[in-house]
Amino acid sequence: MVSLKEKFGRIVGADRVSDGAAERYVYSRDMTENPPHEPQLVVMPSTAEEVQQIVRLANEERVPLVPFATGQSVGGLTIPQVDDAVIVDLKRMNKILNVDEEGMYIVVEPGVTFGHVRKYLDENHPSLRYTYPISSPFTSVIANALLQGLCDLSTRYGAMAEFINGLEAVLPTGEIVRVGSAILGDDNWFGRFPLPDLVGLFTGWQGMTGIVTKMALQLWPKKPFTRHFALFTFGEFMTTDLLKQIARGDLAEDAGALSFSVVKALIGMPAPIEAIEGEPDYGTFLTLSGITSLELDEKVRVLERIVDRSKAEEPKNLLIPFEAVARLMSEEAYGWVDFPSDSFKQLTEYDGLTWMGTYIHPKNWGEALFKGRRIVEKYGYELMAFLKPMKGMHFCEFKFIIRFPRDDENLKKVRQCNNELLDLALDLKAIPYKTPVWSARKLHERADPNFIELVRRIRNLLDPNGIMNPGRWGL
Amino acid sequence: MTSDGSVIEQWLHSCVRCSNCKYVFREYFPSCPSGEYFGFETYYASGRIWLAQALYKGELEWEPSLLDPIFACTTCGNCEVQCLAPHREHIVDMIEELRARAVQEIGGLPSHIRFRENVVQFHNPYGAEHHNRNLVETHSLPLQAETVYFVGCTSNYRETQIRDATISVLKKAGVDFTVVDEYCCGSPLIRTGQLGPVNEAAQHNVDAIRDAGAKRVVTSCSGCYRTLVRDYPKLGIDLGVEAVHITQLLKELIDKGTIVPRPNEPRPIITWHDPCHLGRHMGIYDEPRAVISKLPVDLVEMETTRENAWCCGAGGGAKAAYKDWSVETSKKRIEQALRTGAELIVTVCPFCTRNLRDGSSEDGPPVIDLTELVDRFI
Ligand SMILES: Cc1cc2nc3c(=O)[nH]c(=O)nc-3n(C[C@H](O)[C@H](O)[C@H](O)COP(=O)(O)OP(=O)(O)OC[C@H]3O[C@@H](n4cnc5c(N)ncnc54)[C@H](O)[C@@H]3O)c2cc1C
Repeated sequence: MVSLKEKFGRIVGADRVSDGAAERYVYSRDMTENPPHEPQLVVMPSTAEEVQQIVRLANEERVPLVPFATGQSVGGLTIPQVDDAVIVDLKRMNKILNVDEEGMYIVVEPGVTFGHVRKYLDENHPSLRYTYPISSPFTSVIANALLQGLCDLSTRYGAMAEFINGLEAVLPTGEIVRVGSAILGDDNWFGRFPLPDLVGLFTGWQGMTGIVTKMALQLWPKKPFTRHFALFTFGEFMTTDLLKQIARGDLAEDAGALSFSVVKALIGMPAPIEAIEGEPDYGTFLTLSGITSLELDEKVRVLERIVDRSKAEEPKNLLIPFEAVARLMSEEAYGWVDFPSDSFKQLTEYDGLTWMGTYIHPKNWGEALFKGRRIVEKYGYELMAFLKPMKGMHFCEFKFIIRFPRDDENLKKVRQCNNELLDLALDLKAIPYKTPVWSARKLHERADPNFIELVRRIRNLLDPNGIMNPGRWGL
Repeated sequence: MTSDGSVIEQWLHSCVRCSNCKYVFREYFPSCPSGEYFGFETYYASGRIWLAQALYKGELEWEPSLLDPIFACTTCGNCEVQCLAPHREHIVDMIEELRARAVQEIGGLPSHIRFRENVVQFHNPYGAEHHNRNLVETHSLPLQAETVYFVGCTSNYRETQIRDATISVLKKAGVDFTVVDEYCCGSPLIRTGQLGPVNEAAQHNVDAIRDAGAKRVVTSCSGCYRTLVRDYPKLGIDLGVEAVHITQLLKELIDKGTIVPRPNEPRPIITWHDPCHLGRHMGIYDEPRAVISKLPVDLVEMETTRENAWCCGAGGGAKAAYKDWSVETSKKRIEQALRTGAELIVTVCPFCTRNLRDGSSEDGPPVIDLTELVDRFI
């Protein structure tokens, strides 16, 4: 009898499928506290047609598939939730297929990473930019958009799914479909409207509705005049109020705020970092830009005015140009704002990294931060909050990152801490993002049951054999 | 390191598997020959670190399917350059310890085991008849001298043109040198986790060098150089004399005017391949370039150089155990070399020379050793 491994091998080539103990171990876990679960095989396709054949075979054999880009979701999202899963590692599908200068979009395959997009654009289309996270440069641009993540244009334009113009996917039943304007053919990936917006069948689904093999993402013109600032602030409520004013004024294309401990980590302070009485609580990196220097100068003046006004309440609030930051810290500092991935090394201290991250109503932002901080302090972890005003202040992001050694004691403690943070977030009606299974289950308990039922129904409709990432998102 | 000397234990809680080891930082060229070819996460440094940790903690049982991810690595060290985490300087050490543990637990790869048997029986990994000492007669070398030229097995039994060019250069420069009854330095065994016979061979070399009354050892092999300078002290072996690489000596001889390269027209365009054992492992990048700058050649660098240089694919036992991949890796380097328009590819490591040649087409630029190039012009 032909083994499953051989059958997959016939599709992708024998050396692109493995059931080795090493692969089963490494793909069974990620950096988080989410419990590991071994797959039976790992396969590495290199074309959409191979993905299609993999999905068809999985249907015939009733084998669960788990798409994998780089396994850095920080939510255990590539850890199989059922036995005998097959990981579909997409890293070989790594082509940048097209950049349309006029339509301002890029078409990529799922293995393409932020670092590669950045380099490609800088070298070939220097007038255009994409938007970048604080993850390692080598995470998937497509996975990030599918997970509705946030990058350094999200303060202005929102979660990353908003950047999607259209996509191509292999459905759980094996058909290759396109959604968006490219249904009229290639070279036409200009947008999603006016059509039934089926991009939503794939975003936020954590690989349960098919495998995306191509995606068109919006690029933006680089503004010729840009300046960066660092804003140091005190207190959770005052900090979030100030950020709300800045974001509502449409002054900054990015405003990423970090606990001051993270700023200290950035300048090289060794772990563990403790907060010191009297130091600022938050440091925010702001990017302002303009088509003319006049426009930029005016934005800077408005920003300065807003910060000055805030001093009536907190005189120590401090706005400094980035040139001063770079002089104080190091030239490397420009990297943190130019390509935020460059600043991520501070998160590689241990073998463990996790977070409880959410999108939240602006009115609850300050409270979430204030109470969340107390929880993290109670557990004795470093304060590593990240917050961002999203989409011109229509909503906000906050998360508490924990870097930790993955020993038994910390795994237990981190689980408890994240649990408490999630309860707090749900009390404040925040929606957890990149939602691990345990977290999704808690969300289900509180969410409108008809919504959860609708999600289930859509999933069953698309995937009658239940082969795509079963168990994910608590389904 | 911890009390039992385990570097894996020392870094048991490091590495989030962030992928930085996979690419050249800020340049985004691939950096890992193994991961680039095999593709699975287990073939990148981060995957191997997770395996090492898992095996150490007992989360994973030893079994033969682990051997490929553990051994299909050239230990080129490019991951160490790109990694930003605290364990970055110790990745190759972790991989070598993992290999030693693998050999102990389930035995090594057959081609590596052959090395070991050959080193024990013939004192070189190739199983060639041990004839090192004949060089003294052939080249009328003294029995005792200030400098010992440590030839290295690959130059002595395979890439003999490197040995001959080195001897020629040393003679032309009037260096008081000899060759001793050297045994394999141990590099192929250390790189493949077979530490058993290393100390005995190393001690033999120490004794032979001492008996020659030498004050220093010079070697034209980057692997031997790394081993004599970095590994011997770790194994508790005191070489007793200074060890230098031929590029350091050549620079010294040229700087002092002891050897004076002749002008030559037209000046050939060359490109330079940094051997991993000399560059990333020992930090020697400037000396070979300084030597080249004094030769009548024009150097055009490849797109990845110095600490970011793409590996030739031969090291870490890869050439013996994974021929196809090893040559594929070399072909990528050759493609980089071809893009420079070079007429000659120059390096200074017999393994690199051999493998780059294996990756070249017949009508491509020849691959030669720096000692050969110097010998041509003095
Ligand atoms: C230190 C650190 C910082 C981070 N910072 C940020 C940040 O600032 N902003 C941000 O948004 N994210 C951030 N992330 C999260 C993450 O790196 C990105 O969102 C990333 O792009 C997704 O991770 P990945 O590429 O590893 O995907 P994976 O983890 O491999 O996959 C994520 C999910 O998507 C599914 N999937 C992957 N590819 C496909 C596909 N082609 N079709 C269908 N389903 C698919 C998988 O099954 C899984 O459920 C950070 C991560 C780390 C480790």
